[in-house]
Amino acid sequence: MSSVITTQNLSRHFQDGENIIKAVDDVSLNIEAGEFTAIIGPSGSGKSTLLNLIGGLDNPTSGAVELSGTDIAKMSGSALSDFRRDHIGFIFQSYNLIPVLSAEENIEYIMLLQGVDTATRKKRVKEMLHVVGLEGLGDRRPSHLSGGQQQRVAIARAMASHPDIILADEPTANLDSKTGIALLEVMKSLNEDRGMTFIFSTHDNKIMDRARRLVHVLDGKVDQEELK
Amino acid sequence: MMLTYKLALRNIFRNTRRTILTVMLIGFSLAALILADAVTSGMIKVMVESVTKTISGEAQIHKKGFRENLDIDLYLENSSTIEGQLAADDRVKAYSPRVIAAGMISSSYNVSSGAVYGVDGEQEATVSKLKEAIVEGEYLSDSPTEILIGRPMAELLEIGLGDRIVITLAEADTGELSQALFRVSGVFFFGMREFDENFVFVNIDKAREVVNIRNASHEIALLFHDSDISATDTQAVLSELNQGDIEALDWRSLFPEITSVLEMSGFSSVIIGSILFLLASLGVINSMFMSIYERIYEFGVAKAIGTKPRQLLQLILFEGFLIALISCAFGIAVGGSLGLYYEINGIPLGEFEFAGVALSNAIPTVLSINQFTHFPIYVILLTLTATLYPARFAAKIVPSEALQKSL
Repeated sequence: MSSVITTQNLSRHFQDGENIIKAVDDVSLNIEAGEFTAIIGPSGSGKSTLLNLIGGLDNPTSGAVELSGTDIAKMSGSALSDFRRDHIGFIFQSYNLIPVLSAEENIEYIMLLQGVDTATRKKRVKEMLHVVGLEGLGDRRPSHLSGGQQQRVAIARAMASHPDIILADEPTANLDSKTGIALLEVMKSLNEDRGMTFIFSTHDNKIMDRARRLVHVLDGKVDQEELK
Repeated sequence: MMLTYKLALRNIFRNTRRTILTVMLIGFSLAALILADAVTSGMIKVMVESVTKTISGEAQIHKKGFRENLDIDLYLENSSTIEGQLAADDRVKAYSPRVIAAGMISSSYNVSSGAVYGVDGEQEATVSKLKEAIVEGEYLSDSPTEILIGRPMAELLEIGLGDRIVITLAEADTGELSQALFRVSGVFFFGMREFDENFVFVNIDKAREVVNIRNASHEIALLFHDSDISATDTQAVLSELNQGDIEALDWRSLFPEITSVLEMSGFSSVIIGSILFLLASLGVINSMFMSIYERIYEFGVAKAIGTKPRQLLQLILFEGFLIALISCAFGIAVGGSLGLYYEINGIPLGEFEFAGVALSNAIPTVLSINQFTHFPIYVILLTLTATLYPARFAAKIVPSEALQKSL
């Protein structure tokens, strides 16, 4: 398998008064295409910051992040926006759909940013809604969907752009256990059937149980890697 | 772009109450500006008409130097030639020759100084409001002894209709004193202190006889078909009349103090408008910031999934544009309705004199197309300018910071 993400001596330090907080400290990591990986660790261990750096949402203090062979740490704002749009899918803890757009429009939004033609967009929206099990609910706005349904729309949105990887931050944190499991099964099948690469930042045992690889982070460093 | 429009349209109705309040703030400011301009235009119109239509006319012809101290010797010898020229000019609506002399006006009980105007009753009625200002008695006919007198002067002289008045004037050229007896045929009241207390009107032929300036006059007052004194045609007439020792001046030159007051009125409108829109702009900035702060997390997500800063900037600006459009529609409706109502009914400001000009007790507003085209354009531009700051703020949101609670 080819490497989709490589971090080399990646560090992110924050200044807090006279103290320097090393949120991510010299992390070198290699993630292969098709992996289902969970970054785990206690609160404040730096897993979210690491996910931010991998997703190009934050700039490293030092080191490099290569995504599909491109060093995103050196990219400017606009190029980075394009890169995120075309190569990375995000799933957030609080679903974060655009409340004034329907489920279909939320999924379509990223494709509009990509400049995908109307027919392809419509076809892909239908397909994504089918994949996440939301056929017939596409015209509903987020406020008329349950938490689990909203998170399914968020997964469909993340997949719609055909990204290289999907970064998911605590995707089940706001869901009940049953809904969380159902959602994880959707993501797991996408990983297995379509070879989609998933990286999670999580505390959730359900995700840890299903992940094939666990990256333990402690005090900003990779403490341990576990391959199942 | 379609999605930007759709998003913007839906976003502005996410918090309907705030949008309505913002629309009302901008809309009422526009309405206030339309109304303030309509009132100012109305006051200017009334003032200009008070100046030009009451007695002075839109322009006057004199011999150079006459206006400075009403020198009785500076009369227009060729008055009838000028009158013939004016009668033949279709740009001139009406004209009235006048003999003007300062003199002593005496009754059996009192004496007053004043200005004696010799006018042609028929012609004067086409130029000034003298005929309309008669509150007692009759207007001028051709009787040589009739005299019109202002109500305050009548009270000062303790006289009424039919009473006798003796006027003492200096003759032109010789300076010899000349006296004439008149009987009060009418009492006028213009509502302008200067005229009502100091002027009397007699028939022009009698005045010419007393002053001894046969067929001549001291002043010819004019009205034009085009009331816009700046109009090319009007200025051309004045230019043609300005020859040799004859000066023809429009009312702006005759009454520079009124012109200054009008200019100041325009300036004060600009100041009022600027203050109104500064306040409205601050309201827009505040409202847009509130809307943006509520959506920071959403913008963080939008940027995370690939929305460019420029696209966010466009979105917020378009939201501002839509709010401005709705506000303009509201402001035009309110300002237009009120303006129209007061155009018909007038604004009751009471009777007052401003810059020596008497204003009637209800000033009708004057609506113009500019108020409904230029002002809304200013509103849209100002709203967009006010939106630019919060829009730039939204465009610069750092996704990792906006998403701090999650990622």
